[in-house]
Amino acid sequence: MSDFLKSIATAAQGLRAQSGRMRIISENIANAGTTPSKPGEAPYRRKIPVFETRADSETGGIGVSLTRIRRDRSDFGQRLEPGHPAADAAGMVKTPNVDFLIEQMDMREAQRSYEANVSVITAARRMIARTLDILKV
Amino acid sequence: MSAGVSTLDLMRARLQWLERRQGVLAGNVANADTPGYRAKDVTPFALPQPVQGQGQVTTPGHIPIAGIGAAGTVDAARIETRPNGNAVSLEDEMLRLAEVQVEHQTLVGLYQRSLAHLKTAIGKRA
Repeated sequence: MSDFLKSIATAAQGLRAQSGRMRIISENIANAGTTPSKPGEAPYRRKIPVFETRADSETGGIGVSLTRIRRDRSDFGQRLEPGHPAADAAGMVKTPNVDFLIEQMDMREAQRSYEANVSVITAARRMIARTLDILKV
Repeated sequence: MSAGVSTLDLMRARLQWLERRQGVLAGNVANADTPGYRAKDVTPFALPQPVQGQGQVTTPGHIPIAGIGAAGTVDAARIETRPNGNAVSLEDEMLRLAEVQVEHQTLVGLYQRSLAHLKTAIGKRA
């Protein structure tokens, strides 16, 4: 495989990793409003995507993959809602530890990195096309 | 052509080097959010030396003769490091990608021109 095709394959891995991250961000946002169903039960815990460098034998380059999904260890939120089925004796309901601002920033970062990978593919494609143009002389 | 390395050989070596660089830069961009990853770059381009025969490594003290296009990777200059240890600056990578693009276009143009010259020399209209 030529190095250009390898760089396209590497960029494709980057695209896959970033879109996996977007999926996790959307899971976090979708579950931000959920509550536990019983008192004492833990609400949704925010997921954190972790990227890992992967020495890829197929491309011979430095790939990337979304291998692990960790859980955010930070504290849950609380809100006063005595009538809620999951409210404890003091009337407090635990809410997920999802922060919209953080998710928004993560989403921006994922978008930016995704676009960067796309431009790598565009650049490699253009160079392949130009190399083929040598034949036209 | 008697100098050992022809213009076309030289341009081909440089194009191969550019291709390798593109691959390394793609790895950097793909790892733009990987914790602890440091941006890499290829070793600077070296003029291909005309090698007489194949160099044989017979004792551990021998240094193997690197062929054309055998470029290794080095850590790129650290522009910024994020709290998670990632040292890839997307702006810098885009800049280097553009460099590779421009140079590739120039070289391919030159290569085509050189081929046209050769064709003219053998009596064909380019």
